[in-house]
Amino acid sequence: MLDRLRDYITKIKPNFVEGGKFAWLQSTFEAFETFAFTPNTVTRRGSHVRDAVDMKRAMITVVIALMPALLFGMWNTGYQTSLTAEWWPYEQGSAASWWYCLWFGFLRMLPLIVVSYVVGLGIEFMFAQIRHHEVNEGYLVTGLIIPMIVPVTTPLWQLALAVAFAVVLGKEVFGGSGMNFLNPALVARAFLFFSYPTHMSGDAVWIAADLWGSDAIAGATPLGELAAGTMPSASALDMLIGTIPGSTCETSVIAILLGALVLLVSGIGSWRTMLAVMLGGGAMGLLFNCIGANAYMELPFYYHYLMGGFMFGAVFMATDPVTSAQTNAGKWIYGVLIGLFAVLLRVVNPAYPEGMMLSILLMNSFAPLIDHCIVARNIKRREHRKQAACVSGKEAHNG
Amino acid sequence: MDIIKIREGLDLPMEGKAACRTTDARGVGTYAVKPTDYVGLVPRLLVGEGDCVRRGDALVCDKHDDRIRLTSPVDGVVKAVVRGERRLLQAVVVERDGESAVRQYDTHDVKEVMLETGLWAMLRQRPFGTIANPDDSPKAVVVSAFDSAPLAPEYDYVLKGREQDFCQGLRAMTTLTKGVVHVCFRQGQQLAAKVEAMAESRIVPHYVSGPHPAGNVGTQIARLCPIDKGDRVWTMNPQDVAVLGRLMRTGEYRPERMVAVAGPAARSPQYYHVVAGACVETLVEEQLPEEETVRIVSGNVLSGTRIERDGYMCGYDSMLTLLPEGNYYDFMGWLLPGLRKHSFSRTFLSGFMPERKVLKPKFDTNRHGDVRPFVFTGNFERVFPFDIYPLQLIKACIVGDMELQEKLGIYEVEPEDFALCEYIDISKTDIQPIIREALEKLRKEGV
Repeated sequence: MLDRLRDYITKIKPNFVEGGKFAWLQSTFEAFETFAFTPNTVTRRGSHVRDAVDMKRAMITVVIALMPALLFGMWNTGYQTSLTAEWWPYEQGSAASWWYCLWFGFLRMLPLIVVSYVVGLGIEFMFAQIRHHEVNEGYLVTGLIIPMIVPVTTPLWQLALAVAFAVVLGKEVFGGSGMNFLNPALVARAFLFFSYPTHMSGDAVWIAADLWGSDAIAGATPLGELAAGTMPSASALDMLIGTIPGSTCETSVIAILLGALVLLVSGIGSWRTMLAVMLGGGAMGLLFNCIGANAYMELPFYYHYLMGGFMFGAVFMATDPVTSAQTNAGKWIYGVLIGLFAVLLRVVNPAYPEGMMLSILLMNSFAPLIDHCIVARNIKRREHRKQAACVSGKEAHNG
Repeated sequence: MDIIKIREGLDLPMEGKAACRTTDARGVGTYAVKPTDYVGLVPRLLVGEGDCVRRGDALVCDKHDDRIRLTSPVDGVVKAVVRGERRLLQAVVVERDGESAVRQYDTHDVKEVMLETGLWAMLRQRPFGTIANPDDSPKAVVVSAFDSAPLAPEYDYVLKGREQDFCQGLRAMTTLTKGVVHVCFRQGQQLAAKVEAMAESRIVPHYVSGPHPAGNVGTQIARLCPIDKGDRVWTMNPQDVAVLGRLMRTGEYRPERMVAVAGPAARSPQYYHVVAGACVETLVEEQLPEEETVRIVSGNVLSGTRIERDGYMCGYDSMLTLLPEGNYYDFMGWLLPGLRKHSFSRTFLSGFMPERKVLKPKFDTNRHGDVRPFVFTGNFERVFPFDIYPLQLIKACIVGDMELQEKLGIYEVEPEDFALCEYIDISKTDIQPIIREALEKLRKEGV
């Protein structure tokens, strides 16, 4: 069976290479071929053996890490609706209701995910084809993250526009994956946030009213409540588990930490960045505790970890290796500043209830500068060493 | 005791290490001197086909400095002069015919006798990895008396019985530098005791712990005497130090060495006693499996040179690795658990196997994926024990920014120092050629 598939692919391949009938589909063909079979390419120059990991494997590991948050997000989408919707067919707390929550959430999330992948990958394939490049796997992750960080009621046409904007202006204009300086998923979210603020913030976007359409039931997120001047109604435990309104998959800290575990154990995500963001956010929270000028400032610092997209941002967005600082020392600075700014924006600027998105985008644009300074230090150290050697050499000569 | 701790690095759990057993293969019929093994050497041919040559006779010299010569390792007849594209001299093949009277060299001047016998070509300089310039005075000489590369030969075994030659060679090398001769060992290496016993003030033993590339001389130089622009450090392989020692002791030039024939595809990995430049056919004949297609690598799998079955050992190498070719398709390779795949990342199930005893990882020449732009960061640093930013330096080399390369410390590295970065690289970029090309460009610009 597999051999026959392989034979078939080998047979039709000549049509898709230079001079073939479908040469204009070369990148697309390659993408599908390498999806089915890791190529038989052998090493030619350099090291004769290579590590088994490649971009596909690395990206799929991130996708696996996203799974707990995605599944919980689906369930929670249904759960939030079940709490208030009068039409909910099952009794609260029953097993049937539990499963229906998951099913409902799945049906709500599916169109978002499909639209994100179809639009995003469509554009990626097009660009790859035009540039005669191979299709990069980066969008497998971005395309999944985008539906996970928007409200469930986001209209599909808005999502499609945001994805197109993010892929073209956030990534492809710079040369594609690996060349962009802003996290494309956050570019998409920022696009939605600033273009359609009524669909992205406020109280009436977080809970789907029914299975179809973009009607919503009113229900405030903890950050929304705080921005409005009231204390969060959800308990810390609820926020830890994630049974609160919010962007689809950002609510459960536990599910996100499971994903973090996958990233850290596999070595794909940077523990430095994650830890640094936590430290930065905690430090700012504690500082506000010390000032204590209003109720928001007096909020226990760990609430910032539990509310909104802080954790999701720290684990999945700040660690994006392309847009984060690339040196290890730089990652510490970059992460700490993300945490600091995220909490600062939340507490001090109520116009933006969620500071994480803006904070990461801000630091994305400063990451190259941070790296530049870190590398400059290394360069300076080398120059000093050389000068010291010259001086001691001269002394030895004179002596 | 001076211990250098190397933390960053990686040991590949590869099967097929050479057993401590030696077959004498000094009777091999043909030998070759390959000018392409020597970085920066512009060869001028000194012999023609059919000429009779004796061991130590020059076959080729450097166009820029005719003191630097590549000499015949045996007595015999020049059988072929192999030229490649644009008539580039690839190899001078010598067929051995018996042994005439052994020539005695006058050994009172180390440099002179090394140049005369051609042993000088084994002395390499950092930066650039070229043959040392006889007019330079290096700030130090560094000898790594162990090799940490996958399946590398054990120098305690390789130099057994030649310890005195090795010590003598080190002593001779002190005359080449105003600085000291650093020798690096693993802790507990027997050879170290012999060198310690010499108690020479200008021969300094060091002990290095940690994974590969702890045994790379570049790693050791970076810790002992880092190279800045204009600095020169010389280095020589331990077996060549022993050849030098024997030359000094007896006046005879015998470029012999023990070669480990190892690798996952070798049937019974072991050592062979050969003369430098030997044709590998007789060595690998009994080692090659019948069915598999196998790649023969002169040197280690990370930075060795691919040679043909009837090819010749490269000038600086002390091992041959037989590696299965990996030209197969892997269905859904990116998704399956991967029990027998080796990865520095723990993205495969194999990364969680205890001790890797049941399912040993398979190594072959498959690249395991397509070339992509650099996306992931922070990995190279974990296998790169230099005070250098590897990714930044690689990028500076790709864009050809020579000033930046200098600032980032390119003089401290050789391509082999990036071999592990290249191995673990998710984007499958060929990094070693990038570094070599950048270094060559810098060298030719005359900096």
